[in-house]
Amino acid sequence: MKSLSTVHYASQLAVAGLSRFPKRAALVVITVALGIAACMTTLTLLHVLSADPLPGRSQNLYLAWVDTLMARPQHSAACSLNGVTCGVTFDRIKLHAAQTLLAAHRAARRTVVAGITINEVSGNGLYAENQKTILATTSAFIPMFGVALRYGRDWTPAEDAARDPVAVIDVQLARKLFGTADAVGQSVRLNKTLFRVVGVMQRFEPEPHFYALQEGTYDTWENMYVPYTAALDAGLEPDYSDDCDTGYKPPNGFIGTAPQHCASLGLWAQLDTPQQVANYRTFLQNYVDQQQRALASWGKQPESKLISVAQWLKEKQVVPASTRVNVWFAVAFLVLCMLNVMGLLSARFLRRRQEIGIRRALGARRGDVFLQHILEGGFACLLGGALAIPLTLLGLWILRRQGSEFASLIHVDPAMLGALIVLSIVVGALVGLLPAWRAAVIEPGLQVKSE
Amino acid sequence: MMPLLVLLQVAVACAILCNVLFLGWQKLKPMLAPSGMDTNNLIFVGGLSRAHGEWSSAEVEAGAQALQEVPGVRAASAAIGLPMEGILDVVALRGPTGVKVGVDVYAGYDLAKTLGIDIVNGRNFLPGEYPAPSEGQGNGVITPIIITESLAHQLFGNTNPLGGLVRDADVKVGGSYQVVGVTRHLIGTQMTRSHPDNSIVEPQRIGKMPFLNYAIRVTPHMHRSALLGVRKALQREFGALLPVGSEPTAEFYDTLRGNTFAARRGALWMLIAVVIIVLIVTLIGVIGLTGFWIQQRTHTIGILRAVGARRIDILTYFQGENAFVVIIAALCGMLLAYAGNLMLMRYYAVMRLPLWYLPVGAAVMLVLGQLAALSPALRASRVEPVAATRNI
Repeated sequence: MKSLSTVHYASQLAVAGLSRFPKRAALVVITVALGIAACMTTLTLLHVLSADPLPGRSQNLYLAWVDTLMARPQHSAACSLNGVTCGVTFDRIKLHAAQTLLAAHRAARRTVVAGITINEVSGNGLYAENQKTILATTSAFIPMFGVALRYGRDWTPAEDAARDPVAVIDVQLARKLFGTADAVGQSVRLNKTLFRVVGVMQRFEPEPHFYALQEGTYDTWENMYVPYTAALDAGLEPDYSDDCDTGYKPPNGFIGTAPQHCASLGLWAQLDTPQQVANYRTFLQNYVDQQQRALASWGKQPESKLISVAQWLKEKQVVPASTRVNVWFAVAFLVLCMLNVMGLLSARFLRRRQEIGIRRALGARRGDVFLQHILEGGFACLLGGALAIPLTLLGLWILRRQGSEFASLIHVDPAMLGALIVLSIVVGALVGLLPAWRAAVIEPGLQVKSE
Repeated sequence: MMPLLVLLQVAVACAILCNVLFLGWQKLKPMLAPSGMDTNNLIFVGGLSRAHGEWSSAEVEAGAQALQEVPGVRAASAAIGLPMEGILDVVALRGPTGVKVGVDVYAGYDLAKTLGIDIVNGRNFLPGEYPAPSEGQGNGVITPIIITESLAHQLFGNTNPLGGLVRDADVKVGGSYQVVGVTRHLIGTQMTRSHPDNSIVEPQRIGKMPFLNYAIRVTPHMHRSALLGVRKALQREFGALLPVGSEPTAEFYDTLRGNTFAARRGALWMLIAVVIIVLIVTLIGVIGLTGFWIQQRTHTIGILRAVGARRIDILTYFQGENAFVVIIAALCGMLLAYAGNLMLMRYYAVMRLPLWYLPVGAAVMLVLGQLAALSPALRASRVEPVAATRNI
């Protein structure tokens, strides 16, 4: 193989070649940079949006659902006809089913979640956070989802069972209501009930907010967790429900969410092995099968589902399809840029036909000429890659400016930076190959003769 | 090799261009849809979700009264559902044609007049046609409605829609509507619907609902003061009855529309930038390649000139050569554009690319190619016959 000095010499020639017609070289660099930046901008967006919301835990978490609604299945013609998704998918369960499934020790951990929007008032009534969303759940949520506690403790299953009005709040709420992060022992009033703060947590904000997507997909969190049992006792109702039993007349006359009558609780189970998953699936189906007769009178088959976080996010189309479409557009644009640069480099190299012919006549081998030119193309593409970094940042800044709910998520991480460097090397190699080969096959004799 | 690279570039650019133009048009189309209303002096009120229970008719009436007393306000109508505001009230209608059409319902008191809907056929609702809140539809009552021309066509075909009956396809009893008026356009609640005109107006005295909207028409030169007055009146009338921390909202139609389309406008600018960059990159690429390719043949051009070819002959020759390559490239590009669209359709629910985009993209490429070839071809036409005697 070639000695180091040959490579060194070829690199020197490549740099010299690159600086010979700086304007045309700049055109190559800019074109490469545009192509790479377009790809990296769209890929970064896809990367942040499709990231695992809870690495290390999400693969064992499953949403469980059983249909116990005593209502006819909804298929509204209006929804399907008007190009509107009315959002009637069934993912949540009623209180009775939740209680039964929580009590059965079939999953390592299981919990229910429901978002409730409410005014949070400090125990002394002086400070308030209005219209914030709290999470009604069980004691299992904090260990199951790995919420980090700063002060105090999480509440216990015994407190769940005793329907104790206890709460874990986040540091920001603690500061806001009590002026200190360590708010253990203070109380927060929700409606008319005082909830005793037993723990203070770091804000828990997985992106996307997969465990309760109806509250928001990105940039969403709850600043207070309370036992759902105590929340119900305090007269709080979840914000959303899938549907209610037909006989139930909600107090606001419009949309009911009371979990006693409406499917408004999300049930999450932690299942650590495929065996456990299979068993739990059977268990859920058995549970609804027992209600077959009641369901049949509403024209329904007993239905249940158990769905992993990854599947769940896919089903809910958390990553907009347009994000992926844009990646394809960017890739096509990069291909266009590469073809363009291939042409520019070919023209550039073949203009030096004479000089290459002379070098060849003086004893330079094909390999030497090839190396020189592929390096020249490679250097141009590396420069393009370097220029692509600020361009990508500019592209991401523009995306952030467009003010979507995931704007705060958009950033470049080291992995994406690495991907950018790899991409520019690959682009450089691919783009330089053909022009360098064309330069290398130039015959020595002809050029000398024609001169 | 040079023509091949030109061909590939033009083909890829053509494929990108067709698909991006199509995407851009889909983004732009809803922004061009006529509202069907006189939107210049129109304020919409939202955010009125009662903290507990429902709004009574008296409260709704008092609210309308208070709003009408605000200086600069000409009319205020209570409503359920307005464009971009409030609740999505969707009903599936079925008319004599048998086609089921999902429509957005705007129910309210004297809404057609306040919104400035132009009734081109038939009439507005009569004072006696506004049912009290307790009487809903059903119970054998036939609700009079105003529909759009597009709906008239979908529901009644070519027959006169006036007096025609349509039914709510979702309910078994009741849900009958009779068309009393037709307007040219009326935009839907979501503004971005593929059928913007699938909307109807229904007469209703609002009440017994936890939600509420108002449409307010103001005097042209009192926009600022009227908006401030409206906001004050809303706060006074409803503030205490809303959940703590929630506020009534009142904005001019144009403001709401601007907010609704902000993201779309941003995306549209991006697409325009993409088109421009694609065109520039292609242009530069083709100029560079053609320039080199023509320069290589200086000697030949000299010979041609020496044996009698005129400048114009050289120019047309190279322009013709470029046209030949670009036309082949554009044909490939059209295929590529279609294949790309099929792939996007298959995996990402993108709509089917209408075929007429393909020749448009090809035509753009042809113009671009001719432009790109022009400067090298002109330079070639200026080659003197004496070049034939020189080498290279």
